[in-house]
Amino acid sequence: MRRFLHLPWRSSSRRRADLDEELRFYFDMRTRELIDGGMREADARREAVREFGDLEYTKQYCLAEDAMSTRDARRTDFLSELRQDIAHSWRTLRRAPGFTAVAMITLALGIGANTAIFSVVNALLLRDLPYRNADEVVRLWGSYENTARDRSQMSPADFLDLRARQRSFASLGAFGFGGGTYVGTGDAVRLAGLRVDANVFNVLGVPAAIGRTFVVGEDSAGAPPTVVLSHAVWRRVFGSDSSIVGKTINLSGRVRTVIGVLPPSFFFPTVAEAEIYTPLDLTPILRDVNRARKFHFLGAVGRLRPGVTVPQGSAELVAIARQLQREYPASNEGISVYVLGLRDAVVGDARPVLMVLLGASLVVLLIACANVAGMLLSRGVSRRQELAIRAALGAGRARLMRQMLTESVVLAGVGGLVGLGLAVLGTRALVASAGDMLPAASQIGVDGMVLVTALLITVLCGMVFGLVPALVSSRDMHTALKDASRGSSGGVARYRLRAVLVTGQLALAVVLLVGAGLLVRSLTRLQQNDLGYTLDSVLTFDLNLAGDRYSTAAGQDRFFDELFTRIGALPGVVAVGGSGNIPLRGGASASFAIDGRPHTGDKLPEVGYQPVSDDWFRAMSIPLQRGRRFSPADHNDAPGVVILNESARRQFWPTGDPIGARIRLGPDPSTPWATVVGVVGDVRTGVTDDPRPTAYVSARQDHWGGLAIVVRTAGDPMTLLPAVRREVRAIDASVPVSDARTMRDVQAMQLTDRRLPMQLMAAFALLALALAAVGVYGVMAYSVAARTREIGVRVALGARPGNVFGMVLRQGLGAAAAGLTLGFIGAAALGRLLTALLYGISPTDTATFAGVAAVLLAVVLAACLIPARRAIRIDPLEALRSE
Amino acid sequence: MTKPPIDLLQGTVDVLILRTLAWEPMHGYAVSRFIRQRTDGVLTIESGALYQALHRLERKKWIRAEWGLSENNRRAKYYALTTEGRKQLRAEAATLRTYVDAVFKVLEPV
Repeated sequence: MRRFLHLPWRSSSRRRADLDEELRFYFDMRTRELIDGGMREADARREAVREFGDLEYTKQYCLAEDAMSTRDARRTDFLSELRQDIAHSWRTLRRAPGFTAVAMITLALGIGANTAIFSVVNALLLRDLPYRNADEVVRLWGSYENTARDRSQMSPADFLDLRARQRSFASLGAFGFGGGTYVGTGDAVRLAGLRVDANVFNVLGVPAAIGRTFVVGEDSAGAPPTVVLSHAVWRRVFGSDSSIVGKTINLSGRVRTVIGVLPPSFFFPTVAEAEIYTPLDLTPILRDVNRARKFHFLGAVGRLRPGVTVPQGSAELVAIARQLQREYPASNEGISVYVLGLRDAVVGDARPVLMVLLGASLVVLLIACANVAGMLLSRGVSRRQELAIRAALGAGRARLMRQMLTESVVLAGVGGLVGLGLAVLGTRALVASAGDMLPAASQIGVDGMVLVTALLITVLCGMVFGLVPALVSSRDMHTALKDASRGSSGGVARYRLRAVLVTGQLALAVVLLVGAGLLVRSLTRLQQNDLGYTLDSVLTFDLNLAGDRYSTAAGQDRFFDELFTRIGALPGVVAVGGSGNIPLRGGASASFAIDGRPHTGDKLPEVGYQPVSDDWFRAMSIPLQRGRRFSPADHNDAPGVVILNESARRQFWPTGDPIGARIRLGPDPSTPWATVVGVVGDVRTGVTDDPRPTAYVSARQDHWGGLAIVVRTAGDPMTLLPAVRREVRAIDASVPVSDARTMRDVQAMQLTDRRLPMQLMAAFALLALALAAVGVYGVMAYSVAARTREIGVRVALGARPGNVFGMVLRQGLGAAAAGLTLGFIGAAALGRLLTALLYGISPTDTATFAGVAAVLLAVVLAACLIPARRAIRIDPLEALRSE
Repeated sequence: MTKPPIDLLQGTVDVLILRTLAWEPMHGYAVSRFIRQRTDGVLTIESGALYQALHRLERKKWIRAEWGLSENNRRAKYYALTTEGRKQLRAEAATLRTYVDAVFKVLEPV
């Protein structure tokens, strides 16, 4: 009977020895055969070698063949073992559905959160921007030296001088806000837009998808009116009409020829999505010397010459701005330029937020990994026997570790797959709720890069949480068969490791909880800020008047008078008013001079500037403190009147009464004086801005061609909207009602860029806390199970249930205290990363830290309850007998 | 052994080894003895070439090697046909038969 032994992979010396033995066997057998045939031994041996042929060559040949066989075998063995391991892992995981489900969900949440945040980071920070050689493109702003306002608009004359004198840029293009009312077949719609000079699209290096963009000359006076459409508006408003180029459309009463449609991936840098682009003609304003350098309304983009860096280009423009300061001291004092590379300009404030969130999601993932590692460690106990048996059957330590790692990677893979699904949904939800906080929102999504990263994260997770349990298990597998009792030395090591994992989890959860707590408290502070007016029960919308009917002041007054009468008569309306801008959406400003008071210094002070209707203050519930409000008597031909706010009064008349004083608003010295007739309460113009000195003028005396309307109502403001639309249509169907929402919603939108990070951070923190709680529960349950005998002995020796209960709780609280301490240290160290996102609160806010401590202790106690109750139910007799 | 043995081409050696191992797993010496006895000494494969062929066929996974104990209780390397090898044997035998038939169609009238 022959016994076959499998040949495993052989080393080269092993292969050589095998070949020698094989050939020796042949020669011995052949020699014996020849001797049996009658030869003498020496002759027989010589004859066997002779007839064999070239022995040395044969050896070389066989060894080369064997080397190749070994290499092939190695490869196929590895693959087949991997297949085996995966199949085995799959079976093992399916045998423990509870464990698998919890581990999978844990990982899916961790991987999903990471992938979603990463897909945003990828779209904004990593992917190429949709402009040709985007590295060469910069965004230009006007800036005021020595103030925080480093990104404001430029004046046309300054822009043209910069363009003419610079040498660093191949070209510079300017743009200003535009847009218009489109009257097609249905209701009139307001389209957001920009006015751009002929260089802008060349600078960006974006060709049109259909037709073309502007060419030189199309932005000058007298050129036929044209318009370029964004891809989105072409689809939404013009039904993807592929023959649109060459057709004419009516925009704000002007007929324009469509010359092109932009590609879908295009977005205008740093400006909220523009829907239409019309040519920007600067000639009229340049003719007005008083305003050409004083009227700041342009943004700009530039393309650097090859080889010129952003700092070099910036330095040159700043130097030119300094020249202009010297040449035009009256208008340009302190005015400079601010230049940013396009990536920084586009991503802007979103970068620190994204980094914080990416960090937070990584922490969640770490906690998730630690949880699964802990679960695997506990499971390792029940699998020690299985592993020991496999080891006894000849599986090496490396082989067993590989199998266990495969198992954890398979687990991570399943979790990753579910996580990817969560990420796709999460990314969509994120973009939908982000509003203006995320630039280029339409470009954000799960793409190849995101998929690859998710895969990497998944495999890495599997390795990370699988490695420790695999090491521990493979170390003690040889002792497992000898020593199958629980609570053996291996068990203690496992418990210690789990306790370390849990402490780490708690510490990480504490860091996230503190971060979330700080953001929540910041937002609460912001929402509690006194705005100076009442937000509730206010509907607001914009009305823009276009066309010949409204080219005169009287025409505009007629429209708004009728509008206010009609809306004021609607049931449920308390008051209605209009203003150039509603608070929270910024506003205009103007320089300010007081009659009989020569100003000190070279520069006139600046105040906020706002044209408002007669009933604006009543509609906004802004209290009148002195004097009177505006009335119809303050018409266009009547003497100019001004109402100041409390801040302006305090700043310019700290002791006296401004009523009756004469002031001039605006830089033009020929503007007639206006009389101050009233003082009203302060309002905040932005959620984080403090009230600034402001001058209100009557909308009957400064006509902007449109007003933001506010309607104060008795009930739900939105229910009034259909009636409002009806009344507007009744006066003039070509006037669109746009941006209709409640004042509460306006505030909510303003707070989005603070609320969204807060919500995500809170979600991550709660997730982290829940995962850590599961971890605490797991380790306590394990500890109680492992100490069954010890607890039994204690009870037998007279320990009361209270003592046992306390013992378990103390253990849990010990972990919580360690986690809190480490977490607080971490939170204090990382807190300053959050500074940019905080409002009115310090990163080491005591109340927040105390709150986090309370929450954590409560959760840890809750997680300990079930194991503690199990501990007091231990029957000492059974516990001692079971061994 | 009246006539001198005929030199064999490599492909023919391979198919003879495969055919031999189709009987049962054998060590190299047994293979060489089997072929010699089966052909009454007409076909002798030089033993060096035989071992080269065995290792080559093993690499191609047509045969599989395992150490076992020989008739006289010595450790010997046994070769056995694999499923792949059996398939190969059928194909090669058919080709060889066609070849020999064709050669004889030319030679027959002699």
